[in-house]
Amino acid sequence: MYKVRDKEPAYAFVPQVDAPQTNRYGKKIELVDKTDPLAGKSLNINGDTSVSDNPNRYKQHGFYFNADNCIACHACESACSEKNDLPPHIAYRAVGYVEGGSYPNYTRLNISMACNHCDNPVCLKGCPTRAYTKFAEYGAVLQDPDICFGCGYCTWVCPYNAPQLDTTRGHVMKCNMCVDRLEVGLKPACAAACLGGALDFGVIETTPEKREQLKTSIPGFPTTDITHPNIRFQQSRSLPREMKRTDAMPLRYERDQAGASEYRSKLHDQGEKPEWNLAKLHSREDPLVIFTLITQTVVGVFLALFLAPYFGLGELSRAANPVLQPVVLFSLLGLETFALALSTLHLGRPHRFYRAFNNLRYSPVSREVAGVAVFFNLLASYTLLSSFPALFAWLPQNLFIGLQQFCAWAAVLSGPLAIYFMHRIYRIKARPFWNHWQVLTSFYGNMLSIGSVLVIVIFAAALLFRGQSFSHLIEIMRWPLLLGLLLDGTGLYFHTRDNIRAGGEAAASHFQQRTRFGKTWMLRNMLLAAAGVLVLALSVTMIDGGWAYSLWLFSALLIIFSALISRALFYVLVIPTTMPGAFFWRNRGFQEHARETGLADMPQVGVVHDTH
Amino acid sequence: MLFGRKKKNPIKLPDKGVVEWKYTTCGYCSTGCSIEVGLNEKGEAVTSRGVGDADVNRGKLCLKGIFEHELFRSSGRGKVPLIRDKRFQAFQETSWDQALDKVSAAIKNIQAEHGRDAFAIVSTGQIMTEEFYTLGKLARGVIGTNNYDGNTTLCMASAVSGYKRSFGSDGPPGCYEDFEHTECLLAIGSNLPEQHPVIFWRLREALEKRKFPVIVVDPRVTMFAQMADIHLPIKPGTDVALLNSFAHVILKEELADEAYIKAHTTGYDAFSQLVEDYDPFSASQICGIDEDTIRNVARVYAKAGAAMTIWTMGINQSTHGSDGVVGINNLNLITGNIGKPGGTSLSITGQCNAMGTREWSSCSGLPGYRALEKEQDRKEIAEFWGIDAEFFPKKRGLSQTDIFPAIETGQIKGLWIIATNPMTSMPNTTRIRKILEKLDFLVVQDAYADVELNEYSHVYLPAAIWAEKEGCFTNTERRVNLISNVIKPYADSKPDLWIFNQMAQRFAQGQKMNFPETASGVFDELRTLSKGRMLDYSGMSHEKIEAQRGIQWPCSDGSETGTARLYTDGRFQYADGRAKLIPLPFVDNNERPDKEYPFWLNSGRVVEHFHTRTRTGKLGNLNKFSPTPYMEMNPDAAKRLGIKHGSYARLTSRRGDAVVMVQTTQRIPPNMVFVPFHFHECVNRVSLGLLDPHSRQPAFKQCAVQVEPIDDQEAAAVRNKAARTY
Repeated sequence: MYKVRDKEPAYAFVPQVDAPQTNRYGKKIELVDKTDPLAGKSLNINGDTSVSDNPNRYKQHGFYFNADNCIACHACESACSEKNDLPPHIAYRAVGYVEGGSYPNYTRLNISMACNHCDNPVCLKGCPTRAYTKFAEYGAVLQDPDICFGCGYCTWVCPYNAPQLDTTRGHVMKCNMCVDRLEVGLKPACAAACLGGALDFGVIETTPEKREQLKTSIPGFPTTDITHPNIRFQQSRSLPREMKRTDAMPLRYERDQAGASEYRSKLHDQGEKPEWNLAKLHSREDPLVIFTLITQTVVGVFLALFLAPYFGLGELSRAANPVLQPVVLFSLLGLETFALALSTLHLGRPHRFYRAFNNLRYSPVSREVAGVAVFFNLLASYTLLSSFPALFAWLPQNLFIGLQQFCAWAAVLSGPLAIYFMHRIYRIKARPFWNHWQVLTSFYGNMLSIGSVLVIVIFAAALLFRGQSFSHLIEIMRWPLLLGLLLDGTGLYFHTRDNIRAGGEAAASHFQQRTRFGKTWMLRNMLLAAAGVLVLALSVTMIDGGWAYSLWLFSALLIIFSALISRALFYVLVIPTTMPGAFFWRNRGFQEHARETGLADMPQVGVVHDTH
Repeated sequence: MLFGRKKKNPIKLPDKGVVEWKYTTCGYCSTGCSIEVGLNEKGEAVTSRGVGDADVNRGKLCLKGIFEHELFRSSGRGKVPLIRDKRFQAFQETSWDQALDKVSAAIKNIQAEHGRDAFAIVSTGQIMTEEFYTLGKLARGVIGTNNYDGNTTLCMASAVSGYKRSFGSDGPPGCYEDFEHTECLLAIGSNLPEQHPVIFWRLREALEKRKFPVIVVDPRVTMFAQMADIHLPIKPGTDVALLNSFAHVILKEELADEAYIKAHTTGYDAFSQLVEDYDPFSASQICGIDEDTIRNVARVYAKAGAAMTIWTMGINQSTHGSDGVVGINNLNLITGNIGKPGGTSLSITGQCNAMGTREWSSCSGLPGYRALEKEQDRKEIAEFWGIDAEFFPKKRGLSQTDIFPAIETGQIKGLWIIATNPMTSMPNTTRIRKILEKLDFLVVQDAYADVELNEYSHVYLPAAIWAEKEGCFTNTERRVNLISNVIKPYADSKPDLWIFNQMAQRFAQGQKMNFPETASGVFDELRTLSKGRMLDYSGMSHEKIEAQRGIQWPCSDGSETGTARLYTDGRFQYADGRAKLIPLPFVDNNERPDKEYPFWLNSGRVVEHFHTRTRTGKLGNLNKFSPTPYMEMNPDAAKRLGIKHGSYARLTSRRGDAVVMVQTTQRIPPNMVFVPFHFHECVNRVSLGLLDPHSRQPAFKQCAVQVEPIDDQEAAAVRNKAARTY
């Protein structure tokens, strides 16, 4: 048991007060009753098998933050970091702020935020390894770094930036509600350390002594709809209508003129001009840019290869290409192997890759990995069966053909299904820029466009080599290619329109697209438009021969290059609904600056270089 | 409801394996929090926590205290003494004997050639009271230089001077418990939540129990200003006019405590005549606070049953610092708010043991609030130390801020600096660099070998830090608290007490005198020397102090415990037992903004750093909150100049220039910029620091600067990073 310090002052203990039966989301506050098999168990903290007799042990607990009083003294986050022995670049709790008004009627609102131990823990659901558990004890959502393989997906889905991916250790860590302290009746270290009369802790839906409100909104705090967070606020002092952030996010918070509504995030346009920033297209997620594009391409090429003959395109059949088809199939296999290896090495703990399948029930990551794995295996089987029939001569002929057909058709189904799951990964409410159907049109669009154009380029070359016309190839393959480009283009158009309309983080992401990456974005648009026009012209005119082939080759390059830029932008532009940062701490702008200027070389700056 | 895994894995939480807790007192600011440091089986300091039953902090700590155990192994510590003949040579490692021999020889040579006062000593507010006393004995009784001062001249000198002028003695009369009794709190130039978060918490706790008006005077809209009931955004450097005007209203409207004035003060007539000139309208023209607000605040303050004023550097670091303190004392004297619960003039001190140096270091006089100017005091101390009273000068010598100019002009040739870093902390540091170059001999005694000052030293003595040694600190409310030895000094560093004692042995006079080896041995001398005085330690011992988690002086022999307040009987330290009401004519001699330099420059602290960052700059969990300097600037002003939020700008003044990252915020007015003072090669390259005539404290917070955008941001980043070695 945690050892209570001598003469522990009363403020450090969780008050034993009556709580309502249910919380505002309609969930029972008493998570299990005493007869439940989950009750009466030890938490086994550091091998201690004792069971606490805390009478509220099975009630949902949560933080209470009185925003009227926070002075940003950092005592809470420091007490947390000290207790949890955290390196400077990691913090389970962070204090950021928003500010508004003009001198001297200026107001700064500090916000201290950690994990909200939500009723609907999206981190738990999203985690492919099932590293998360929501405990019946206190309703604490705990994460086990020994299970985590460091994909960081929980850091994407959490609207509060609670889980922290430590890139130096290769796994995620997060607030543990100081369950060891709770077992002996003490508040978490942060709440006990508060010097402003701001941070408190208790059974959820109970108002601390001398506090009046139980709100779930303050400026900067995302909507509670996503996760049903267990945090309550007081914010009774009047604030300026508009509150600004000091970090580099182009966001501000505004309520309506009457002051009746809650604060909503809005774009903060400070007149930035379009730039290239090509180097900044790089991010930690570069391997995912490659992985997603290759997988989509491989599925696209395979679909064309296998299905086109059914649409009368005999030129693509195995019979017509006894050598080329196996070569293409093995190339696809090789490419996909490379892509899978990249995505695995992207993990903080690649050797735990097999845990990716652990959460098929909830995690889109698990489903994507499973989908891609199934497709990959079917593709491999089909490739072996179709390329080396002699090897399988011992099989009855019917069975051999049946097996080959089964593998192919199953791959045809599982490929697009895997891409559908892949797109589900990004449909995250806490990341409005991603949470749009455009992800699907982009993924399927690229599957069709890159897949088809590659098939055209490869097989037209073969036909040219044999001195044959490739117009029939175009006649068939132009349709999926044009459909792919149309899907991609349409998706992008509506994505932009809807981002602007949605406002907030989505509009801010698009704003950065127009400014920070404005010139790069325009280049992408022009490449895509040029590809569309060129493909359309070539498809309509159906010209043939060497010149036409080089134009096809050129359109393939245009398509691939624009897809690369698109996908890189997709990862770097997303602005999550996370809490406002401070001027240095949790400010993406400063972190970037520290990495560029070498300030990050000093560990005490609290910024680490991006590594894998 | 989701519960994840049915079969739950055991929970692993970090366990630091503490087997023993050791009692100590925080070594940062003067709040005086009691800390326990946890040691693991290997005897390593692994954690810190507040002491639950300590009256000061009641179990709480600020972020600096929370990570204080990390100091013992922070980077940049000095391992062994270093020597060199010229400052441009490389240091050689050496033994303590050789280093101390070299220092004592240099002192003797310089004194033989240029006179005793040609060797100066500048100390600190960081070491223990026993060490201060021993250093004082060495400086005054053995080395015999009159140019001996502490860096407290940069922070508390004005408070000391103001207390002495009003009450006849230094010594803050109030305590934190006054928050529980006051009916009105006036805070002038104090950003309590940022500078003294634990004192602020005590105030917050008092306010939760019982609401009373809080009035904050500060040109910046600090968190404290935002929480105040009334915020007076005053023009820099004009506090005295405001205080005079408060007095004007109180006297005019007959809100003063006539009986108290009559019984316990002198000088009323001259005082009332002077404040006659400071009617609220005239004052409003000077300090920028409208006359209605001045009247309102004066009335609220005077009508409160008990009212108190707290202040920090906003008052002290000003050309009228001492006058500002006297003005506060005047206000509290005319309203009868001295020595009663909730009624006081409480200076919130800066360094952990600024009070200890004021009391016992002999910097500005002789130990135990004795003065060089008083024959009786000289005699008492000379007798106690066993030396000739004639060895003492009859008047105090130069203060720290006058010692440096005396080096510049050649009167001082050698300097011993203990635990302070004027390369970053003094105003106009480019001038300080030139001055330090002129020294024939500089010895730096510091826990950190990478302290910027070391660039100019000939000998470096590695000192032990904080609880690597033992002794006492006195906090803001006169509470003497104990630092017990937690772990042994790092590498071959030594406690300052040991260094002073060793140095004393190298002088013939020192060999004849008694220099106790242990802190408790020294403490016995303090008890003897303070017996029967206002500053009475005679009832304390190290054991008793620890048991009571600190004792407030006076604590006379035989008393159970200390005393919460001074002057409760209305008897002051002037011979006539009365306090003085002192008229304060106000002349604005600041370098005010003009066309060329249109911005006020203001500087101050941030909560995560302490002083020149030799400690906090090494600890990532503190430093990360401001790892590099920044400048608060009003966004309207920034926009006019084309300066972007988060970009580097150039700050220029009549002294020099600095490069600093801009943080635009409406927290400060359009004609002001604010830069934290903690960073090397930054704000003090441009600051002016006009000296207060009484306290010789520099006005860090008032001078005029210009701000320019920088086109080459990369070069600016390089320049900034070059100055960030930690």
